[in-house]
Amino acid sequence: MTLIAIIPVLFLGGALAWLVERSVEGGSRWVTLASLLISCVLLASYWPQFSQAAGEAWWDSVQAPWIPRFGISFFLALDGLGFLLLALTLAMGLFGLIASWDQIQFRRGFFYFNYLWTLAGVAGVFTAMDLFLFFFFWEVMLIPMLFLIAVWGYEQRIFAAIKFFIFTQASSLLMLVAIVALVYLHYDASGQVTFNYRELMDSEIPLGIQYWLMLGFFIAFAVKLPAVPLHPWLADAHTQAPTAGSILLAAILLKTGAYGLLRFTLPLFPEASAAFAPLAMTIGAISVVYGAILAFAQQDMKRLVAYSSVSHMGFVLLGIYALNTIAIQGAVMQMIAHGLSTAALFALVGALQQRLHTRNMAQMGGLWARVPKLAAIALFFAVASLGLPGLGNFIAEFLVLVGSFPVNRWLTVIAALGLVGAALYALWMMQRVFFGEGEKAEEDSKVHDLNAREATALLVLAVGLVFLGLRPQPVFDTAEPAVVYLLEQMESPQSPNAVAESSPPNSDSNAVPAKGTTSSTTILNAMAPGSETL
Amino acid sequence: MSTQELFAILPLLVLSAGIVILLLQVSFIRGHRAALATTLAVLVSACVACFAVAGQVSRGPGSIGVTGLLLVDHYALFFCLLLLFSAIAVAVLGFNYLKHRSDSTSYPEEFYILLLLMMLGASTLVFASHFASFFLALELMSLSLYPLLGFAVSGDLSPERDQLLSLESGLKYLLLSALATALGLFGIALIYAASGALDFSGIAVAARQFGQESPLMLAGLALLLIAMAFKLSLVPFHIWTPDVYQGAPTPVTALIATVGKGAVVALLLRFFAGVDLFALPSLTTLLAFMAVASMLIGNLLALLQGNIKRLLAYSSIAHIGYLFVAFLMGNSAFGIEAVAYYLVAYVVTTLGAFAVVSLVADSALAHTPGGGHPIADTASDPFHRDYYRGLFWRSPWLAGCLAAMLLSLAGIPLTIGFVGKFYIFAAGVQGQMWLLLAAVILGSALGLYYYLRLLLVMVQREEPSSSGASGAIQLAISGRLLMFSLTAVLLVFGIFPQILINWINAL
Repeated sequence: MTLIAIIPVLFLGGALAWLVERSVEGGSRWVTLASLLISCVLLASYWPQFSQAAGEAWWDSVQAPWIPRFGISFFLALDGLGFLLLALTLAMGLFGLIASWDQIQFRRGFFYFNYLWTLAGVAGVFTAMDLFLFFFFWEVMLIPMLFLIAVWGYEQRIFAAIKFFIFTQASSLLMLVAIVALVYLHYDASGQVTFNYRELMDSEIPLGIQYWLMLGFFIAFAVKLPAVPLHPWLADAHTQAPTAGSILLAAILLKTGAYGLLRFTLPLFPEASAAFAPLAMTIGAISVVYGAILAFAQQDMKRLVAYSSVSHMGFVLLGIYALNTIAIQGAVMQMIAHGLSTAALFALVGALQQRLHTRNMAQMGGLWARVPKLAAIALFFAVASLGLPGLGNFIAEFLVLVGSFPVNRWLTVIAALGLVGAALYALWMMQRVFFGEGEKAEEDSKVHDLNAREATALLVLAVGLVFLGLRPQPVFDTAEPAVVYLLEQMESPQSPNAVAESSPPNSDSNAVPAKGTTSSTTILNAMAPGSETL
Repeated sequence: MSTQELFAILPLLVLSAGIVILLLQVSFIRGHRAALATTLAVLVSACVACFAVAGQVSRGPGSIGVTGLLLVDHYALFFCLLLLFSAIAVAVLGFNYLKHRSDSTSYPEEFYILLLLMMLGASTLVFASHFASFFLALELMSLSLYPLLGFAVSGDLSPERDQLLSLESGLKYLLLSALATALGLFGIALIYAASGALDFSGIAVAARQFGQESPLMLAGLALLLIAMAFKLSLVPFHIWTPDVYQGAPTPVTALIATVGKGAVVALLLRFFAGVDLFALPSLTTLLAFMAVASMLIGNLLALLQGNIKRLLAYSSIAHIGYLFVAFLMGNSAFGIEAVAYYLVAYVVTTLGAFAVVSLVADSALAHTPGGGHPIADTASDPFHRDYYRGLFWRSPWLAGCLAAMLLSLAGIPLTIGFVGKFYIFAAGVQGQMWLLLAAVILGSALGLYYYLRLLLVMVQREEPSSSGASGAIQLAISGRLLMFSLTAVLLVFGIFPQILINWINAL
């Protein structure tokens, strides 16, 4: 039942923050902090399920009728994958709040209102098990994000905000049509109108139609991800958003696209997804390389980080459509590790912008001497993002490459080139910003280094990345049931009844996936560099 | 005519009696407030009458035919109620509008008489089941709209610019509407020549007997459809819309956009279902083309508008286009339900948006009574987008209501507009009209741009430089009440759509 409380806590916290700011100057931040902490405590109540490795697939669920006319219910459920992403959401929410604690001066109450409502929408997306409800939350997270960009953003905020919104909204209308069509086909076959995810999984749809419906979902998620032809909104939105907004966008909102692919596109349309997989992997590989090239060409530091996200999320797409346990586990790990490292990089860029009033790398340089702490932490996250072994991103990208190599050799080779590109742009960024001669070095010599608050927040993330790099097994264990369930759906789409029974697969009930599970776990154990050797 | 028949048209009788009472009242006691009170009383009692008749109808046969001219059934009563509620809102808006613009030499009471006449026409149109009653009702509606559109001219204190625009609006509508009516009348004549009947059921029988593909019949139906498309401002019969919407007094704009269109949609629904015109592919194709063109052209042209009334005019063209996707679903319970829901969403949202625009403009005029001076720049024109810059920080509640209306128009969740859009998608998928759905998606994406631009202008940081738009906007209590109740309706039906769905299916 705690599941249902998290979302209202965030919604109400947002409303309260707005009200409090009217009477208490700066009070909204504390309200935001409090409601995020309460949500964290609520989420922590799932610790027993998290700590026991092989438990039930679905940890909790809440269901109540909402619009009976269309068989729509208010149906939330949590599994390992949802838990990981929910934890990421709340953690990044806290990080964004703390990292930009004093950056917002204008209409603070309304800012934190939007901030919390975005988080609430994302939390809903990660737990909704009714397709209508999912779509509802999918939209609810957009409007506050729109305001975050449009009101507190930088120079071109209106343009960036509208571009962001039109891309996501137009693509999500495609998804809405696909959802309605799916429900209608299900109704035609079974005579029952429902938007329930688990019931819709049973519907058998001819491959031709399935392909179109799958595309409707895929495009919506690929825009969010973003995958290459659909990425133009990303650079503008990330660059123009305020720091906290960029953190939300990069660390959390991008993950909703990957989550949607894992949760909805693959299991609902298994045959079509299998047929589409080579194309999707190609898009992923192209995104990896293209994103790296674009990142390398940027003058604007924030744009560089934004395009590096395109590159990193390309790995996620590649891993998901490799359709095997290792690659998908890698993709899940990449979602988390990329969330941490990119959030930190955006926070650092934001800190620099606050101090230097520029994001143009041509005007920076030689900053190491003046802001040593900031520079050292930036170096850490830059090498994390380029995939240094021992950190989470390495595990993730390595697993994706290992998993997709047997599926498609050449695409894997191309994607691996992206790692070279990542090294290039990340180190080049370090060189231009922190080393060398500075142009503005003489003009304003009094630049503050990171204060204790910022440094602590960033160090916590750094520790998190190291932990993920050395001991990734808990993440794999938590995501395991969801991944196995997904692959089972993919492999045996014609016998859905076994899966759709309310208790999803236990490893002993079905021999073949169980074998796959154990073997993959051993591989993962062997691969995690830390767990045995350290 | 039996007592039951007389009882069935009770809403119409109440309205007619109300008109007479108001006329008498005005000839003895002139009084703005008294006229408003009488009007509201008449409208509310007509609503009550609708409920009473609905109870009678559901106890009885399901529908009551009145002398072959009118047919009272659940759907007609539902639409009639919807129109009456909008009329109540328009009356309140009109009161706020006239309050600042009238003095002892002007006669604001006529506004309410004309409004009630228009409502009598609209309600009759909804009940019509015969071309005679249909035509009479349509003309009654149009004839009372002409003076309403030009009402700013009638010896009050509107700025001269407003008066000229209002006059232009009235004349334009008069000329073009007369042309459309003539076409429609010719269409009716052709249908009569082909089928020998003027009542809908008679036409249906004749059509079934002689086959619907008779060229005379088709030509007549097409002409009639064109006349209706003119009233609904479907592309390519939309040219009048932006000018008329812009020039008319804003409450009248709200009236023509909601009651004027709602009544025609209700009638078309009954006509198409009764005569079973959905079986005629040539007519449905014609409608589909007009719907697609309306969605695309309406949204495209709205992109260019700085004037909010013109923007809403183009957006209403697009919305009627969306509505026709559900309309084309054909003669099924779900199609009718979808049309009804979307119409409610459209009416509530459009009323709300025009209410905010109207109240903002009234308050701007209240600052400069008589307001004869020319408008210096766009930021001091209360109908221009620039006037709304930073409104969210100056008058958060007002701007919040407008934001809700805009989000509803754009079809974003939590609002009634989203559920309406959902119905459109459901109907489109069920009818497998993929091209139309593609047009809906494209149109919605275009629409987002101008709705969002207005929305984002309201939350901009810059304080306005010109003196025209500074300070909070003070609203009268009646206006505020209206605005909040419309927003409440919009949110409640957006979050709990089942309530309204139950009503639609129960009525």
